[in-house]
Amino acid sequence: MIEDLLIYGAISGAVYALLALGFTLVYGVAEILNMAHGALYMLGVYAFVILFSFFHLDLLSSIILATIFVGFVGIAVYGLIRSVVDEVLPVLVVTLGATLVIQQLSIIQFGARDIRVPPMISGIVTLLGVKILQDRLLALALSLCLIFVLWIFISRSKIGLAMRAVAQDREVAMLMGINTERVYMLTILISGSLAAVAGMLITRPVVNPNIWQTPLYMSFAIVVLGGLGSIKGSLVGAFIIGYAENAVLYLVPEGQYLKGAVALAVMVIVLVLRPAGIFGKRMEIER
Amino acid sequence: MTEMVTSLLRRAYSSFASHIFDVPARLLAFLLFLLFLVMPLTNPGYFIYTGEGYYILGILVVANIYAIYAASWDILAGRTGQLSLGHALFYGIGAYTVAILYKFYALPLWVTIPIGILVSVSVALLVGFPCLRVKGPYLSLVTLAFPLILTGIFFMFKDVTGGELGISSLPAIIPVPPYTINQQRLAAFYFSSLLLAVSSVILYKIANSKIGIIFVSMLDDEVASKASGINTTKYKLLAFAISALFASLAGAFAASYESSVGISMLALTMSFYPVIMTILGGIGTIYGPIIGAFILTILDRYVLKVVVSDALAHTHIIERAEDLAPWHMIIYTSVVIIFVLAWPRGVTRFVVDKLEDLEEARELEEIKKKKK
Repeated sequence: MIEDLLIYGAISGAVYALLALGFTLVYGVAEILNMAHGALYMLGVYAFVILFSFFHLDLLSSIILATIFVGFVGIAVYGLIRSVVDEVLPVLVVTLGATLVIQQLSIIQFGARDIRVPPMISGIVTLLGVKILQDRLLALALSLCLIFVLWIFISRSKIGLAMRAVAQDREVAMLMGINTERVYMLTILISGSLAAVAGMLITRPVVNPNIWQTPLYMSFAIVVLGGLGSIKGSLVGAFIIGYAENAVLYLVPEGQYLKGAVALAVMVIVLVLRPAGIFGKRMEIER
Repeated sequence: MTEMVTSLLRRAYSSFASHIFDVPARLLAFLLFLLFLVMPLTNPGYFIYTGEGYYILGILVVANIYAIYAASWDILAGRTGQLSLGHALFYGIGAYTVAILYKFYALPLWVTIPIGILVSVSVALLVGFPCLRVKGPYLSLVTLAFPLILTGIFFMFKDVTGGELGISSLPAIIPVPPYTINQQRLAAFYFSSLLLAVSSVILYKIANSKIGIIFVSMLDDEVASKASGINTTKYKLLAFAISALFASLAGAFAASYESSVGISMLALTMSFYPVIMTILGGIGTIYGPIIGAFILTILDRYVLKVVVSDALAHTHIIERAEDLAPWHMIIYTSVVIIFVLAWPRGVTRFVVDKLEDLEEARELEEIKKKKK
């Protein structure tokens, strides 16, 4: 019972972290609230299913191809909002519009029905007396790997440095000769790819054109919980939400309906206690 | 007695004249509204009787409902700058209160709608309280959570709320038997137009009153308005309450007009409708969202679902009706995106700015002429 909770909470937390990292990265660097994050997630699942179960590519190349494809769709979304990137609400409405267009295009292409998502690998392992699908264990390992790689990339590489510089102060970064436009595009590319991978790892057993909503508000909850734009915060937030969700599933009989609601309630409570999230900077009066 | 009545009427008339007739823009809006009201009587065959699952008055009723809903969002977001993304909470509570009270106690509408509004306003005060502590994007994301939390709770109490199916067969606005269906349609149209007129005037008045100025001061600089001795807590909650009042009015009316409520009334899309309409129309103007609601509702329900469908039905490009729906949505969204990218500050703002430019140019011409 407690071991179940421990392991399944860790799995949910890790994949949610992957999902939320992309969202928080775009907000941190470019100050874009990307409502199309859920749509990119969905697109990732569809691309993976097509490549893996219809074209019968091998696992690794279908993951990589799907990820690259979604990354470029992310850049296309950025292309749409480029002219209004400084205004909060137009960005919100346009990215939301992009989400709906992607959703409807997938309805046209695949129909509004459920399509089965194949497990990446089959088989069951027993860990601490808990039976887990190997597929889920792979999800845990893959997301932890990716998070680690991303962390190294941002904190060690030159491009990561440029991203952090733009996040801190856009004008000064420009003065230092950083091409902010290119940094934004790269950030969106990374963010879209992360959303796609998260989609491939989380979505089981079926995908349909309406699945973009849950990841969207889940990433909101996680990112807000940890503090917008803070990577450390998103990681902590993801694990909090992952464990809270699984705890509800085990403790309350009607838990499946309350899963999302509890995650959001946790977010609201944390925000009331700490208005800028756990690791968020306090909102300054003047930027 | 009669003297009192006549003097009262005269006073009312003179204030009406000074407020409406003396301002050209308002006079124009007033005449347009009158035209809007008279329109269905001029050609009832076209507006009321058209069969085939739709009638034009029905589309206008929906537009009226959305206009109230969008304007209520505007007073909260456009005036005080609290960008709520969970406005469906108030809309849904208004609708569900009406439905649940009818289902279990069979109360009439004139009792349930006020109760719905009351419940919604009290929820707004409750919800507004945690929202006071958070700002900017945090506020948007927190408010977004509330209708989703409520959806989860509604699913838990399926026997009360009907779960996914919702509650249906609510009473109509006009009692059924003595009236024909066409009379009911006309009544619904006039009643909703009246509601829109009254609520938009009230909202516009509030937005331009002393309270409205305080709201804008909080939008511009909260610290400065605090320093000027404004109790920002009180006014933020007030904005929430006013906004919830009109949103739940729209929701309650929608519930009785469509005679059913469903979980889609709390969905993310329902929260985004007023945002899209307001941004398209022009945020912070109160009349902007109303125009936006009309543009989008007519585009959606008439241009796409009627005109385009008919045109495509003749060409036989797309055979089945359900194949058409996604294309409708894509065109609708593309139009929204193009509008927002072309006029990020809203269509009405753009038009008003253009008119003012023309006015200025005309005045300059006159001055030049005088100098000569």
